[in-house]
Amino acid sequence: MNLNLMLASRYLGGRKLRTFLTTLAIVFGVVILFGMNIILPSMMQAMEANMKAAAGVVDFSISSVSGDAFDPAVMSRLEGIEEISAVAPSFTRIFNLGADFLDNDPDSPDRITAIQLVGMDPDAVQTLRAFPISSGRFLQSGDTNAAVISQSLADAQLLTVGDTLTLPSVNGLTDLTLVGILPPRTLPGNEEVYTTLSAAQEMSGQPGRITSIDVNVALDAADQEGRDAVAAEIQSQLGSSYTIGALSSGTDVFAVLQMSQAILSMFGVMALFMGGFIIHNTFRTVLMERQHDIGMLRAVGASRRTILGLFIAEGLIQGVLGTIVGLALGYLLGVGILKAAEGPISAFVNIRLDNPVVSPGIVLLSIVMGIGVTVVAGILPAVRASRITPLEALRPTSAQADFERERGRGFWVGALLVLASIIMLFVGQEAMIAAGGFVFLIGLVFLAPAIVRPVTDMFSVLLGRLYAREGTGEVARGNMLRQPARVATTASASMIGLAVIVAVGAVLTSMTGTMTDVLRQNLGSDYLMVPPSIGLWANNVGASAGLAEELSAIDGVGPVATTRFAGSASDGVAISLLGIDPAIYPQVSGMAFQEGDESAYEVLAAGRAMIVNGAFLMATGAELGDTLELATPDGVQSYRIVAVAADMFNAKVTTAFISQANMAADFGRAEDVLIQLNLEEGAEAETVDTEIRAIMHDYPQFNTIAGRAYVEQMLGYLNAVFSALYFLLAFLAVPSLIAMLNTLTISVIERTREIGMLRAVGATRRQVRRMVTAEALLLAGIGTGMGLLSGLYLGYSWVVAMDAFFPMSYSFPIAGLIAGLATGLIFGALAGLIPARQAAKMDVVAALRYE
Amino acid sequence: MNTVKTEGLTKIYGSGNTAVTALDSINIHAAEGEFVAVMGPSGCGKSTLLHLLGGLDHPTRGKVLINGQDIAEMTDDALTELRRREMGFVFQFFNLLPVLSAVENAALPIMLDGVKPDEAKVKATEWLTRFGLADRLANRPDQLSGGQQQRVAVARALVSEPKLVLADEPTGNLDTRSGDEIAALLRDVSQKYGRTVVMVSHDPRIAAYADRIIFLKDGKVIDETLLEQKNGKNAEMVAERMTKLAN
Ligand SMILES: Nc1ncnc2c1ncn2[C@@H]1O[C@H](COP(=O)(O)OP(=O)(O)O)[C@@H](O)[C@H]1O
Ligand SMILES: [Mg+2]
Repeated sequence: MNLNLMLASRYLGGRKLRTFLTTLAIVFGVVILFGMNIILPSMMQAMEANMKAAAGVVDFSISSVSGDAFDPAVMSRLEGIEEISAVAPSFTRIFNLGADFLDNDPDSPDRITAIQLVGMDPDAVQTLRAFPISSGRFLQSGDTNAAVISQSLADAQLLTVGDTLTLPSVNGLTDLTLVGILPPRTLPGNEEVYTTLSAAQEMSGQPGRITSIDVNVALDAADQEGRDAVAAEIQSQLGSSYTIGALSSGTDVFAVLQMSQAILSMFGVMALFMGGFIIHNTFRTVLMERQHDIGMLRAVGASRRTILGLFIAEGLIQGVLGTIVGLALGYLLGVGILKAAEGPISAFVNIRLDNPVVSPGIVLLSIVMGIGVTVVAGILPAVRASRITPLEALRPTSAQADFERERGRGFWVGALLVLASIIMLFVGQEAMIAAGGFVFLIGLVFLAPAIVRPVTDMFSVLLGRLYAREGTGEVARGNMLRQPARVATTASASMIGLAVIVAVGAVLTSMTGTMTDVLRQNLGSDYLMVPPSIGLWANNVGASAGLAEELSAIDGVGPVATTRFAGSASDGVAISLLGIDPAIYPQVSGMAFQEGDESAYEVLAAGRAMIVNGAFLMATGAELGDTLELATPDGVQSYRIVAVAADMFNAKVTTAFISQANMAADFGRAEDVLIQLNLEEGAEAETVDTEIRAIMHDYPQFNTIAGRAYVEQMLGYLNAVFSALYFLLAFLAVPSLIAMLNTLTISVIERTREIGMLRAVGATRRQVRRMVTAEALLLAGIGTGMGLLSGLYLGYSWVVAMDAFFPMSYSFPIAGLIAGLATGLIFGALAGLIPARQAAKMDVVAALRYE
Repeated sequence: MNTVKTEGLTKIYGSGNTAVTALDSINIHAAEGEFVAVMGPSGCGKSTLLHLLGGLDHPTRGKVLINGQDIAEMTDDALTELRRREMGFVFQFFNLLPVLSAVENAALPIMLDGVKPDEAKVKATEWLTRFGLADRLANRPDQLSGGQQQRVAVARALVSEPKLVLADEPTGNLDTRSGDEIAALLRDVSQKYGRTVVMVSHDPRIAAYADRIIFLKDGKVIDETLLEQKNGKNAEMVAERMTKLAN
């Protein structure tokens, strides 16, 4: 055997526990990297399908030019196109219903006069669309005459799961059994009745035919070129008798998709970073104590190359081993996470999460990272070690001096980086702020050794209390201060782990928090009278002010806020103007202010002022305080922007809110398109409900929704979407925490000999155990402190950066902080547990001889 | 010929106000097969001298000649090779690799030199056997006594058949009996095996095993004496001389 290999294997074999722990670190690095990246595509697919489903779209929809039904055999021509990730056939047909078909009441005209029957292959369609069933279940392949409809259609027909929906068909009336209900329809267009492909074909008298093929592709939302290429390829395969409808970029769905892909990519990058860091850090810890051996080897004639070779060999052995195990575990974990996620996610979103997608690229990347990082992590310190003269390595004093120098330099580098990151925060440009988060993290890694002393001092006050009568706290503190480099390395491991957890947690809470706030404020009124197409106000038939007055007059009804609509334009940009009553609107509804605050409502009442949303600013390039000329039927009028705020209905539409008085004066519109009302306190809910519904019966263009219940349902839906992200967070967090535990354990094991010495000079087992625990706690405390701090910054910077895609405001993650603190300290105590027991049990003589 | 020789060897640590002159224009030599001891109080520059002789550190001024060659002119690789083939080191703290057995530790320099491990171990075994460790070959350092560990270190220093053995306080960490054993062993190394030995010590009893003693004080050579190994009074004589020089 070659000498390097022999030495390497001896070192590995002679330190079994430590080798195991180091290799474990590599395993975790690879697990995070590999596992995360193989489940990302599945998660991405689920999320994408989900988003698209919410908007009722797919990437491409193929139909025949004539609009006729065609033979499904056409689908086989798409098989050769690699980018296509999912294909599903469907049979769609509009059934016009008689004016009183549904309610059998000739007096009241039906609101629903046509429905769209959609026949689908339940298995195939779920690979590209999600159906967020709110009660019952989705269609199954064996179903005959089963149907799924929306809550709004079900409400209109007073149907629930298990009831029968009767529809006309070529074979006379057909009874469909309701098996599931989807959330209310909020998009324009006809209500849809989903059934199986065969049932729809049967009812239309066209067995074995389909009307369209839905296709999703595995391409980034932003990859317009790729999408165009796929469309061209599909066209050439199918010929000119088919047309392809494509989801065009620039739509709302695209914006949301791009954002979610950005979040998921962020997870991927974090995984890479964490994996690499865990491995590197562990190696640094282990190598620090090898200085002495290197010096000796050099003194007896080992060349620099020999030293390098030794470490490469060692790194290779562990890297290969760790990577193999990591790949296997990562795959299993990926499968496990997807399985675990499927339950909670499918409770809301009926999407199939496939097995992890293992691409050769990600396997290669994991191998390169696992082995590569390990070897590099071994080489870097080894190169440094081989550079120093054997003498320096043999003399602890000069090694210490070397470290002091290094620490001085590191301090300045770190301070500069942190300073730079703070400046980046104030520049205000999103890309800069996001990059600043990472700069801050790296800066802290450099600063770490320098801040060990102050932080240790701080924590030791605490420890001093805890261990007041034993004097062991002092010893633990002394140990920290004597080897700041080791402490810093260990603490950075905890720091990075916790920072990422807190940061990602902050992003998720901010995101859900913002959406929840907006939902609650915006839709949280007791009753909502919504038109069929929210957001596309121009298409809606509203009501005169009389309706609101009528509702107001009901005993028990409190404030009634109405919203009016007028189309306008500024400098050629189309603008959706919404008129509100500045006095009443805030009592019933609300918006999330990004710039300015509630006082803007008063300004609206006072003159020509408007509150605009983010999309407005982006489309017009205007800023807060600017005055813009808006087109009115009688020329232009100047309106000043007095605040920037987001509301739920119009998040992606270029929208400005003005007062209803101004809207009447300048735009001549006084039609209410949306009504929100609250009940008075102590109102008889049931009586009021009956009265409201009686009045609304005459206004079938509005859908009357009990607001709070609606919000809760939407929130549930939202949480389901985010649950996928929380699972990913868990994926990052668990291995990082175990890695932190690992590093802490290694760092305590290294001190075996000193512990023996302590026992020899009279420390009791109990004292030793306590001392080791105290030290682990101190280490964890330092890491936790730094981790929480950097996590806050990192999270803030990400939220600000993401605000560009998606209006959200930073919510301070108090829960995250407490959880982080608790986790950090609990893991610290855990990390001390094993070595503390070992140390206490340790045979004094053996410990003293341990090198 | 002198195995090792210095010319105006000077070592200054640091600079300006904090500069410490550890060695000040030292001119010494050790002839082939000679056993030289360097004595002096703690901090007088003994270790510094030994490190410079071994090419582990660079002098501020002056030269170190090994077999007549100026080591300052050698590249790091050449110097490494020189250490491997022509020099052996014995340190106060035994500096054995904890993960290797006694025989592997002893064989390390020639394994580093490319000798096949089996062959290298045969050679190392020979030396360990000569030093009375035949039954301890497979033990790891933590299973050996201090004296035994230091004998392994001496075997390691000799396994590559070097001309020069450098020992820095080789008995500093040992009890009296083991110390005497190691000193006697080093004497054998020069007498029986013909190596040049330069040993640093502050202990008169140990230094008394040498052929010649160089006295160092504040980085300067202040005295030198030849010893007759026939009479047993050397130790007292050296001690007396030390005390006198100290004042
Ligand atoms: N790396 C160093 N930096 C600064 N001063 C040093 C260094 N090494 C040794 N010295 C100083 O040089 C002098 C000689 O040290 P050393 O050779 O170790 O003495 P000895 O081995 O005789 O006890 C001492 O004053 C010591 O403090
Ligand atoms: Mg010394």
